[in-house]
Amino acid sequence: MKRWFLVAMALAVVLAAQPALSAQPLIIGGSLPLTGQFAETAVWIERGMKFWAEEVNAQGGILGRPVEFKIYDDQSSAQKAVTFAEKAITVDKVDLLFGGYPGTAARAVMPVAEKYKMVYVSMGGHMKSFEQGYTYSFGGPPLMGEWWYHGLSDWLASMPEDQKPKRAAVYTMNNPIGVSLMDSILALKKVGIEIVINEKYNLPLPDANPLVLKAKQMNCDILFSNGFFADGVQTIKASKALGYLPKVIVQGIGSVIPAWVKELGKDGDYVVSGTPIFNKLKYEGNDKLNKYVKDKFNLPAYPLYFGFGYQWMWTLAQGVEGAGGVDQTKIRDWLKSNTIKSLVGPLTFDQRGLPKPYNFLTQLINGQVEIIWPKENRTAEPVYPRPAWGQ
Amino acid sequence: MKGRVQFLIAPLGLLILAAFPWLGAPIYFTSLIYSVFLYVTLASSWNIIGGFCGYLSFGHVAFFGLGAYTTAMLANAFSLGAAGTLLSSIPAGLAAGLIALVVGYPSLRLRGPYFAVITLCFAFVVELAVKNLDFLGGADGLWLKEMPLPIGAARAVLYEAMLLLALMVIGLAAYIQSSRFGAGLRAIKADEEVAQSVGINAPDLKIKAFVLSAVFQGMAGGLNAYYLSYIHTDIVFEVNVSILMVLMALFGGGSRWLGPVLGAVILSLVNEALSTFLAAELARIIYGLLFIGVILYLPDGLLAWWEERRWAREAAGPDGG
Amino acid sequence: MNAVLIIQALMSGVVMGSVYALLGVGFSLVWGVMGVIHISHPAFGLLAAYLAYALLKGLGLDPVLSLLVSAPGLFLLGIVLYRLLIRPITRARETIVASMILTFGLAIIMENLIHLIWSPDPRLMNVAYSARVFLVGPFILQLTHLIAFGLSLLGVAGLHLFLHHTLTGKAVRAAWQQPEAAQIHGVNLARISGLTFGLALATAALGGVALAFLYTFEPHAHNLWLIYLFLVVIVGGVGNLVGTALAGVLIGLITGLSLAFLPYQWVNLLTFGLLMLVLLVRPQGLFGQGD
Repeated sequence: MKRWFLVAMALAVVLAAQPALSAQPLIIGGSLPLTGQFAETAVWIERGMKFWAEEVNAQGGILGRPVEFKIYDDQSSAQKAVTFAEKAITVDKVDLLFGGYPGTAARAVMPVAEKYKMVYVSMGGHMKSFEQGYTYSFGGPPLMGEWWYHGLSDWLASMPEDQKPKRAAVYTMNNPIGVSLMDSILALKKVGIEIVINEKYNLPLPDANPLVLKAKQMNCDILFSNGFFADGVQTIKASKALGYLPKVIVQGIGSVIPAWVKELGKDGDYVVSGTPIFNKLKYEGNDKLNKYVKDKFNLPAYPLYFGFGYQWMWTLAQGVEGAGGVDQTKIRDWLKSNTIKSLVGPLTFDQRGLPKPYNFLTQLINGQVEIIWPKENRTAEPVYPRPAWGQ
Repeated sequence: MKGRVQFLIAPLGLLILAAFPWLGAPIYFTSLIYSVFLYVTLASSWNIIGGFCGYLSFGHVAFFGLGAYTTAMLANAFSLGAAGTLLSSIPAGLAAGLIALVVGYPSLRLRGPYFAVITLCFAFVVELAVKNLDFLGGADGLWLKEMPLPIGAARAVLYEAMLLLALMVIGLAAYIQSSRFGAGLRAIKADEEVAQSVGINAPDLKIKAFVLSAVFQGMAGGLNAYYLSYIHTDIVFEVNVSILMVLMALFGGGSRWLGPVLGAVILSLVNEALSTFLAAELARIIYGLLFIGVILYLPDGLLAWWEERRWAREAAGPDGG
Repeated sequence: MNAVLIIQALMSGVVMGSVYALLGVGFSLVWGVMGVIHISHPAFGLLAAYLAYALLKGLGLDPVLSLLVSAPGLFLLGIVLYRLLIRPITRARETIVASMILTFGLAIIMENLIHLIWSPDPRLMNVAYSARVFLVGPFILQLTHLIAFGLSLLGVAGLHLFLHHTLTGKAVRAAWQQPEAAQIHGVNLARISGLTFGLALATAALGGVALAFLYTFEPHAHNLWLIYLFLVVIVGGVGNLVGTALAGVLIGLITGLSLAFLPYQWVNLLTFGLLMLVLLVRPQGLFGQGD
């Protein structure tokens, strides 16, 4: 009689403990511009995040808890991004925060994350946003306009004197990213390159032809098209049509989206740009992502924003695992005192939440992004000067 | 008996609204209702020149943005604390009003679509000018020091401030509606020449309405700048805001103060609800269908339909015939 | 600033302006004839651009030829939309207001349908001759620019001829200028309006394809085009097609000139600022008939 009773009690205890054993999901919430002006990149960020979640859940989740997303559409409005961040934090009571794209939205979400003491891993809002004294924000990694052309001066400096470009035409879009991009360009003077034209333009760019014509007329042999996709494409088209062939065309952040190669084809080749995440690096994760994107989306390698989505989640996850839970302050402190793994190798964050300044200088060759600087990461020889159009 | 209950509903409702941030709901709801108050303020103040007077301004967001930048600059220049920054929304409103005065005089000479377009142009000109001027933050935007309060309290403070502002605008609109000023505006809307011929000083009334509407846009902009603690031309001069406040006011019904309030409340909350519960594109499509649906059945806006129904019922008499 | 640069800038400015004019004439017509501000007009143009893109990529069909499909298609769609959505609101007290609200909703729907079908990825109409240019002295004329300009001429002239030299077109003008008199003379206002709306959308198709020859596009693009539409129509005078065309050219010239002479970040500001001045000086538009 007593034995049955003991077995029954044991069963009862086990059954009662079930809810505790089946782990509570880890909710990651925030907003992305799924519709509106910035939808294109947001869709890729979401895909990267979802792929990460699939993978993590297949391996048992984080600290035994499966991850779930609560992704709101902020309709490309920074004001809405702020309210949705608050919703995620105070209504959905998410364990982890994400979101806020592009830079203006991230800038608006950072103070919210700070006030609620939530760790916030995002692209950041360029250097100024990391100088506001926020402690909970991380660029993990950031999209840092100030670092974008890291290596450009070094690459140009490494050329023999008679091959270097001498006269630069710099056209920059008038927004936070554009302003940040200007930083790396001023370094060119040290390499002996004269900045002959230095102009800003407001989006949308009505016509790229006068800009290109002016650069051509003033014999500029290096052209900076510091813009997005639309104005970048206009500049390339105008350059081809007007027969302008500088030794190198440097592109801002227009060429990082898959549409650049898809729509421009050969004409989009040979632009020099930057990237904080690179799909051919030998670090853990890159092969996995490439394979997934190739299978699912029929692209040769994973696009930058897919990598961002994946990496930001990975960074958060390591913080959670390192801190042993979802205590935000513990996660923050752990992230600031430990090295994390990433698609670009080991990363350490400083007090501002930034890794050490880095960026890879890239060139599009045959529709593929290749790294041309730093030399030790080089995946292809730079094609310099640009071949004639149509080659 | 019925009258007495009606008398109590409004103040009671207001009391609950005012006490809401402290009723224990998640802070998000405070922010959400804050943004409803914001749009109520924008739509109602716009309506003074738009719905009441018939001059549809499509560039009113310019005043909202100017208010935001004024507050941000004042707060930063004088290192203002919480009270100071909040109060700086008043000079922000005045600055917007001043600019409205300067722009209004020539612009109000235009009618109908021409007025709409010139105000639209004005909004772009202001946005571009601010974006190009580095001392105003230029393309980088401006940061404000955040309110030195815990987030719940900070949101509550802005909630109350925006509620107060909304009540002020509504009060003003209601007062105007039943005043000679309002009658004058209505006359102008119906037929400006006739109004002039019976002695109404149209230019005078119009500029007053325009400036008044701008002042509250500026004040709302100032408060909102503090709410965001980071402003940028893309955020505070968004053309969508201009269009939305027009639609909200007219959707609800432009000839009475209640119209913009209804329009703002309904459209804001519906938009939020749709985005919360539906997939992104679907939510937007249904939002669009809402506009179409309502206008097909209620072409003069919500209030007009409601009133027609009421008249029809009253005409039918208490016994239905 | 040398002369070649200036003239070249003016030329591409004129092309740009003419394309906005093309998109604008249908918008202006509908506004003038039936007092409807059709906010989703550019969204339909965008749809035609996507159709042209799809046919180009799928069948290798030239975008201009795609108009043989999209223009009649949009014409018929316009007639249907008029019956279903526009006619009912003409009984509103303020049709202009009701039409704005309704077509605003329609524009959101169009944008998000395009978003669902084609994804938010930006597109470029890349035809075999995208880089073909003709050299005329020191000037470079791009074939795509010429085609866009040609479409604009076709659309604007075609619409103008229709309105002034065909019976139906004259009926449209009659219905617009003197609705009661027209009705007395047997003009079926509803049918005429439907036709007008359809025709306007057909020209939107031309406008959308022409714009696609010049710019990249994504679901959100109609918003940017809408602003230029308002400008072009107002400066030209509501309902005045020739005025709209000339206003487009003017805007293009202003943009081109400012690109030639000013720091580029002031170009958009100057364009809008100048247009403000034009409106202040001549409120009915440069070519309007006056109120």
